[in-house]
Amino acid sequence: MWDSFGFEFVNYYFVPGLVLGCIYALGAIGITLTFGILRFANFAHGEIMMTGAFLTWTFLELSKLIFGFYFHPLIACIPSIFIAIAIALSVDRFFYKPFRDSPTIMIVMASFGMMLIIRSLVQVIWGPNQITFVKGIAKPNGILRDLSGSFDMMLLVPSKHIFIILGTVIIMLAFNYMLTKTRIGKAMRAVSDSPDLAKVTGIDVEQVIRATWYVGGFCAVMAGVFMAMDTQFIMSTMGFRMLLPMFAAAILGGIGRPFGAVLGGLVIGFAEELSAYPWFGNGPLLSPGYKSGVAFSILVLMLIFRPSGILKGRVF
Amino acid sequence: MDALIGYFLYFLSLLSVGGIYALLALGLNVNWGFAGLFNAGIAGFAAVGAYTFSLLTTAESTFHYGGLGLPVVIGEIAAFLIAGIIAAVIGIICIRLRADYLAIATIGIAEIIKLIFKNEAELTNGPRGISKIPRTWEHFSEARYFSSQPLSWFGDSQSWQAFFDSLVNWWWQPLFAMTILFFVFVVYIMLEKARLSPWGRMMTAIRENEVAARAAGKNVTKRRVEAFIIGTMIMGLAGALLAQHLRFIEPTHTFDPSKMTFLVWVMLIAGGSGNNRGAIFGAFLIWFVWSASELFLNGFIDIIGNIFNGMDISMLKNRSGYLRMLLIGLVLQFVLQKYPKGILPERRPAASGE
Amino acid sequence: MKKTILTGIATAALAFSASAEVKVGNPMAVTGPIPDLVAPMVLAVDLAAQHVNEQGGLFSDGQKYTIVRADSGCDPTAAVDAVTKLVNVEQVSAIIGPVCSGATIAQAQSVTIPAGVVTLSVSASSPAISSLESGTDLVFRTAASDAFQGKALAELAIANGITDLAISYANDDYNAAIAAVFAANYEMLGGTITANEAHEPDKSSYRSEVATLGSGTNNLALFAYYGSSGITILRNSLETGAFDLFFGADGMAAQEVIDQIGAENLGNAFFTTSTSDQTTNAFGAWKAAAEAGNVPAADPFVPNSYDAAFMMALAIEKLGSGDRSGIASALRAIANGPGEVILPGEFAKAKSILAAGGSIHYVGASGPQDFFNNGDVAGFFSKNTVVDGAWSAEIIK
Repeated sequence: MWDSFGFEFVNYYFVPGLVLGCIYALGAIGITLTFGILRFANFAHGEIMMTGAFLTWTFLELSKLIFGFYFHPLIACIPSIFIAIAIALSVDRFFYKPFRDSPTIMIVMASFGMMLIIRSLVQVIWGPNQITFVKGIAKPNGILRDLSGSFDMMLLVPSKHIFIILGTVIIMLAFNYMLTKTRIGKAMRAVSDSPDLAKVTGIDVEQVIRATWYVGGFCAVMAGVFMAMDTQFIMSTMGFRMLLPMFAAAILGGIGRPFGAVLGGLVIGFAEELSAYPWFGNGPLLSPGYKSGVAFSILVLMLIFRPSGILKGRVF
Repeated sequence: MDALIGYFLYFLSLLSVGGIYALLALGLNVNWGFAGLFNAGIAGFAAVGAYTFSLLTTAESTFHYGGLGLPVVIGEIAAFLIAGIIAAVIGIICIRLRADYLAIATIGIAEIIKLIFKNEAELTNGPRGISKIPRTWEHFSEARYFSSQPLSWFGDSQSWQAFFDSLVNWWWQPLFAMTILFFVFVVYIMLEKARLSPWGRMMTAIRENEVAARAAGKNVTKRRVEAFIIGTMIMGLAGALLAQHLRFIEPTHTFDPSKMTFLVWVMLIAGGSGNNRGAIFGAFLIWFVWSASELFLNGFIDIIGNIFNGMDISMLKNRSGYLRMLLIGLVLQFVLQKYPKGILPERRPAASGE
Repeated sequence: MKKTILTGIATAALAFSASAEVKVGNPMAVTGPIPDLVAPMVLAVDLAAQHVNEQGGLFSDGQKYTIVRADSGCDPTAAVDAVTKLVNVEQVSAIIGPVCSGATIAQAQSVTIPAGVVTLSVSASSPAISSLESGTDLVFRTAASDAFQGKALAELAIANGITDLAISYANDDYNAAIAAVFAANYEMLGGTITANEAHEPDKSSYRSEVATLGSGTNNLALFAYYGSSGITILRNSLETGAFDLFFGADGMAAQEVIDQIGAENLGNAFFTTSTSDQTTNAFGAWKAAAEAGNVPAADPFVPNSYDAAFMMALAIEKLGSGDRSGIASALRAIANGPGEVILPGEFAKAKSILAAGGSIHYVGASGPQDFFNNGDVAGFFSKNTVVDGAWSAEIIK
């Protein structure tokens, strides 16, 4: 890739696409798990992401207040993860559980309602304004630049992006371990494939549901924090903006297939950024006014031609 | 006296917008109540109807395609039909999709429709929107209408101008509200007839037990597409009426899915999922609550400010918009849990037909 | 349920007890796509009302100047609903607002023009507003139409020796229009535009766009609201070095930009805003008052909001009552003069002049605010650059 497309392509199109893809991927994991195990499209997922980012900011400010300096966001996000998971569990208990056996439409409506409620709560508490997360401009990481220079390439990637990409990889590896090697992970896969059969074999479905919220909530908060690190500000509408591309990623990869969601997230991230590359001639391939349309179009096309997704998830 | 007229006019506006939402809910009911289709692209189809109406009935303009200046009735019929054509194309492609998938596909399609309206600025004036949309009844008082047929048969421009100037400035509002309610009534009657007809009963059979219906030889796909198209045509008509109410449309904020699509779904589910009366009732109820909640909340905050005399309520007031959203969300959750079948549950036709 | 009825009765009671105050409706996009832009505008409107009420209130009996806020959400449907309530239920004398052009046009055409109520928008800039009504004089605004600022910016760019540039504009009503005017004027003056693309606001990354746009030039004309895409584009460009010179209009001149990007990175950025020509007088008075009231003085459309609310109070004072039908001519009289010059914050002075039968001429914080026949205002514009960690304005003549 370096030889054929060169410095510009890798640094200004490919890497940004990768970063965006990682964020979409993490968010999509939660969505596909909820879709697979709880069997509904959770419209409030983006708001958990956003709440995680806001809570992390609060802890950053607290760390400054108490200790006199700012912690790294990846440290400050740890308490937010616990709080966000607690929120997700309470929401499930009070607003989703009553509808476990009802038609899907009821719980989807409830999640729409939660989207409004959570977003409004954040706006009432933190106010509607944007809040600076990290000040200033991120310069490319020197170590990476020199290292790649010795290979005749030049990778200009700011440290925050390195954290995001590495962080996503680590989370993916941990997740893979959990799903394949632990009991709860296998139980989750069983419930996702066939809930009735899983119950028959004695799996505690409520426990699996709780695990879903733990994992989904964790990934959502990480996605939110990564996004905050990337854009360096947080805003109450940031969750909703990401929601549809994340749905697209989840469906693209195949419902119930977490790695499909990761793959889907990467594809959508790349597609969005690469759509502005001057593939032919001087201007971007697609007018940036249609950039949001990229995710939607991929979504619609997938649903029409291959609703089971790339990794053949469930179509129900 | 002024205050009383004011309350009356506000009530008329509630009826007008409530009626528009009632039409949207009725259309959605054809999709959902009759055929079990989870159509979440309401905003997009309403936009199609609104833009069709506006482009056909507005006067010549440098900003957008126009100049046809067709009568409002033609505009409404065209909105109805064009929405149907778009729905036919989409429906045939998407009809195999199930529940949540159809919802997400239709949301995506609605967003794409809006993006097209936004970016094709030559045609639609892009994000700046189309203004000066004629409003039924009020449009008679515009010069270009009374100076041409058929009004010109009854008098010349001067006399018409004088006539309209002599009317009280809100003369057209009751007429406009009644026109919308008339549309709601007509659509309701026709949908009730359809529901009780053989076609309607077949739709109920398909909705309740698709496998059995297919086994009985019914062409399920075709019926579904029909339901999709009919419901969407009604939404297109509602969009045209909305364009008249606002007299201005634009692609970004007017057809915001979290307000329009979501609200109509809430209206249908809360009012009585799957039945026409429930759709109408839910639409008016939810719209009344939504609109009046702003007044109540502001009044409530004022009262709190008066009770606790020193308290600085300005921050509360500035965030009252968000409090309102929060309360609406909570109300929705309450209704969903307390009235899962909706407040007006479905009345099934008797086996031998009514 | 009972509580709702009680609240309803109380609201109605409050509505009926309108005797000791004059109410003006203020639909603003409190919720919606630009809440961070609107929050300081709301503060400015309240500050104006506070000045009026502190300096004696309206008329000889000191009636309260009450701002009734409503949420137009930058959404035509919400705006029409909010203004319907303001006009019919609250019985306001006039409307200050809304913020967005779309909301302004809809509520004007749908509600206020038929009802004969004056609308004084704080920031709507669509050219369509200039021709909203023919025959009735009911729509005014304190923000200059895009046609002027785009031209001024093009002239400024050429004057600064910028011979080639790329344009990126947010695809909304304000920014798309001003970009179009700018592009047309810039090319007419001999500049070269290497690329001109819309972008969709509210995305988290624009790196690929700026890379593609930046391939032919180092200068970027950026038309966006800082919150929804402006800061992100600025940041992406600075990170990748796609551009090193930035300029644009109102939507970017906010303190938030400096807070997030850092003053040291904004050495090569300038943005125009509409402003008053007596920078030492009108704007200075405004700045002092704003700082005392904790309102950011130079944020987009904040001075315009103050002016609108203050002018409305002056008009009502001149009229002597809250009667809707006289407001338009009173507004013209106090805004265009001739008369004694009144600066932002000088309500008591204006009141005594009017009481003695004299005339006043208000010069606003965001411009002289002399209305044309169609209710528009011209602007003087200032070039804003970052000095000592804040935007500093320099008038363009």
